[in-house]
Amino acid sequence: MLTVTFLPSYRKIDVERGITILDAAQRAGLSMNVVCGGQGKCGKCIVYIQSGRVEFDRQKYGRFFTETELQKGACLACEATVQGDLHVVIPESTLIQEQKILVEGLEQAIDFRPSVRKYYVELQPPSLADPSPDLSRLLWGIQKSGGPVAEKMYAPLEVLREIPYILRHSDWKVTGTISLVPGGYRLIDLQENDTSKRIYGAGVDLGSTTIVVYLWDLVTGKVVSVASNYNKQISCGEDILARVNFARKNGLVKLQALAAESINQALTTASNAAEIDREDIYEVVVAGNTVMTHMLLGIDPAYMIAEPYVPVVRRALSVAAPRLGITCNPNGGVFLFPAVSDFIGGDIIADILACGMSERDEISLLVDIGTNFEVVLGNKEWMFSCAGAAGPALEGGEVLFGMRANPGAIEKITIDPVTLDPKYSTINGIKPRGICGSGLIDLLAELLIACVIDRTGRINMEINHPRIRKNAHFPEYVIAWAKETEIGKDIVITENDIKNLIMSKASVHAACVTLMKEAGVTRHDISTIYFAGAFGNFLDKKNATIIGLIPEIGIDQIKNIGNGAVVGANIALINRRERKTLDSIAYRMAYIELNAENSFMDEYTGSTFLPHTDLALFPRVQSLLESCRVKRE
Amino acid sequence: MACELNFGWTATIGEVVIGATKADGGTRRLSYRIGGGTTLPFMEDQAGSPSPLIALEICDYLPFWSPIAKNYCGDMTNSVSEWAKAADGTYGADLIRLYLTSTRQRNFSDIASLGKVVEDVLLASSLPLIIEGSNEPKIDSEVFQKCGEVAQGERLLLGTAEAGKYRSIAAAALAYNHSIIAQSPIDINLAKQLNILLKEIGVQRDHIVIDPYTGALGYGFEYSYSAMERIRFSALKGDSDLAMPMICSAPDSLTIKEVREAEPAVQDEMAIQWEFYTCLAAAAAGAEIVCVRHPGTIPLLRKAFADMKKPGAAAEVR
Repeated sequence: MLTVTFLPSYRKIDVERGITILDAAQRAGLSMNVVCGGQGKCGKCIVYIQSGRVEFDRQKYGRFFTETELQKGACLACEATVQGDLHVVIPESTLIQEQKILVEGLEQAIDFRPSVRKYYVELQPPSLADPSPDLSRLLWGIQKSGGPVAEKMYAPLEVLREIPYILRHSDWKVTGTISLVPGGYRLIDLQENDTSKRIYGAGVDLGSTTIVVYLWDLVTGKVVSVASNYNKQISCGEDILARVNFARKNGLVKLQALAAESINQALTTASNAAEIDREDIYEVVVAGNTVMTHMLLGIDPAYMIAEPYVPVVRRALSVAAPRLGITCNPNGGVFLFPAVSDFIGGDIIADILACGMSERDEISLLVDIGTNFEVVLGNKEWMFSCAGAAGPALEGGEVLFGMRANPGAIEKITIDPVTLDPKYSTINGIKPRGICGSGLIDLLAELLIACVIDRTGRINMEINHPRIRKNAHFPEYVIAWAKETEIGKDIVITENDIKNLIMSKASVHAACVTLMKEAGVTRHDISTIYFAGAFGNFLDKKNATIIGLIPEIGIDQIKNIGNGAVVGANIALINRRERKTLDSIAYRMAYIELNAENSFMDEYTGSTFLPHTDLALFPRVQSLLESCRVKRE
Repeated sequence: MACELNFGWTATIGEVVIGATKADGGTRRLSYRIGGGTTLPFMEDQAGSPSPLIALEICDYLPFWSPIAKNYCGDMTNSVSEWAKAADGTYGADLIRLYLTSTRQRNFSDIASLGKVVEDVLLASSLPLIIEGSNEPKIDSEVFQKCGEVAQGERLLLGTAEAGKYRSIAAAALAYNHSIIAQSPIDINLAKQLNILLKEIGVQRDHIVIDPYTGALGYGFEYSYSAMERIRFSALKGDSDLAMPMICSAPDSLTIKEVREAEPAVQDEMAIQWEFYTCLAAAAAGAEIVCVRHPGTIPLLRKAFADMKKPGAAAEVR
């Protein structure tokens, strides 16, 4: 065995010769930034070999490093294999860090009608005069204290077995927990004495990157705490596809466990913060995309990623928590959101619930952008949806200095159209380390307005300015000079980065237009555009319109619903009627397969222009750009 | 055909002037005003529907040229003046399209010699002239400046602007009042995008000719055809960013396998036929200028265009 020591934490792990440094790090419990899932494509998992021997092809991967980095022993953790005892430095930028996660409450008023409730009852002990069975006595008591009708309640065998002892031991003072299930009301738990104030539920966004948990007091109807953490599955691959491939190689059990663990960790953090017992959490409502939901259920997602893209299940499901390894009350249940297709999952149904578009007459457009994007168009009568790959560019992938929304990411930028110098702000206000999605959108819009790039995103090299230059391969614009940055390198955006961004935005816009054409509506018919997902919340709405990410409508008609998945999960947690509508939302939504739409490619090419080849679709942006150009001349 | 076709088109294709006569400040004996159509070609009555123009392509440096065209023309190809003279006289082309292939030599830097070539061609023939500059971004700017300058006032058509390189050619065209060929890879959206880019740096619509990119017949021409058709339909429906005349050139016609490997005895005929049908189809799709490299193609095209304009004669074209 060889020993690998990771610095600066000095975490040690014994490994066999030949495994990659990435594997070793994962075994040591260190989460690294592996956008490509460890295929040597993204160049984000840079580590430095301080001492010891590794095998690594510097020629092949040289493009990811500067001269100085190479001299310091840089290599890619996913490609370098351990050949001797090692000391490896993992720079901060390579480690996955605390991420800016959306945690906000509900904006709309939702009736408080949770589907689990506790009833404290003080029963008369049986006597010869009143010899009715324990169960009837208990259920009658619950009905009398405001619970459901006794005949509609039933108790599972596990609880029945406990009933005689608990009733007698507690001197007939007990608290019963009743849960609304498809077959009626189920007595899921019986406790001694009055514990009726101790009942909690959790709304969970099971994202492929992050887990967000809202813990609710189901007596008062208030949020008691919020917690979030990374999805531990990241160690098995950054994107969904990488994880499905991992699952195919006998990794499903591990992925299921990691999904549950990730939720458990967030539940623990939230419970600790609220100083409550996890055993008092009786219900967990989970909204996740179809693949994540399958993985949490331990169902093989392999058939979803290849034609004809079939999920195993799409309806809403209720499962006993222990069967999934979720650590709440052992009799507690987990409710999982339904899906429309393999690409439109429970997270999107949750978005729809959160924005309320399925209940209104007016037509809304919902856009949820991550590595993949989902678009839903419709109103209370009809809905169309589609999904596609936006590419990781909008999240900072495939962009030289792109990064996730971590501390040090440039999140807002303006460029002075006269001096062409930028002003930027970073997350947490520290020195910049890269640019995140919202910063990239700003950058694209500002470069266009300043006429540094043309409408195809090409940098005008005729401008004589120190920030505009050409690197080995592409023209680039310098956003921050090395001395201003945390990483000691000039932070630039290259023409190639811009091209990737334009391709990403074009696919989102083309998807919007494809749905609009399918439904026969124009941008004038759309009353509101909702942005869902963390990305949307930090996005500058005006700049998103300027670059043509979404159809042009009034800025005040664009709304961010933030983390719609968790908002939707919360709504379903606290209102059982809303929960009942989910399956019908899912079932009435039509799914448009973009691959099968002949016009999609055409719309896409038309959208690969800033803001769009058909300028008539963007009249306000067009006049803005014209006035900017006049000013410049 | 006697049936009345009404597509509800309301717009007109913009006009571009190529070549300037003495009266217009140039030295050409004639000047063409291309475009101006209100429907598809060969569908109107004869009035107001000129035949597409035919340009003969020649070059100033032979190693990069089709041996078939070279052998057919013979020794004259060694002198670009002689070649240009023959294009005008013997071969009866409407236009000359001069490729400055000498710029494709490694480390080419003799910009002055290009000025001489352009001058020679202008002297040798009084036909309006299309000039194809270098393919090398490094010298592009100087090449176009030189051509533009030497031929100032002649209303050249300069080629070829693409989305990735259009600034230097546009600068030369703007400075010396020439027009530009705007080429995009067989896509209506990309064609429109390039026209917008050119417009935004000041090139007027009446100085742009669209090159939709043409593959030889059987080698992708059907894509070109449908792209051209869509471009023209959009223009006639009122999209002014696409309402420019089109130019088509399919030099692949002389290098495809069927022509390259043809029996020597029939190789010329094969080349001519391939060019002929490619250009004829391009003209039917709406091209205002078609370009050929084999002089033998010119008379065939001219006859076909004339025949197609006779009412009811389209079906009889050989």
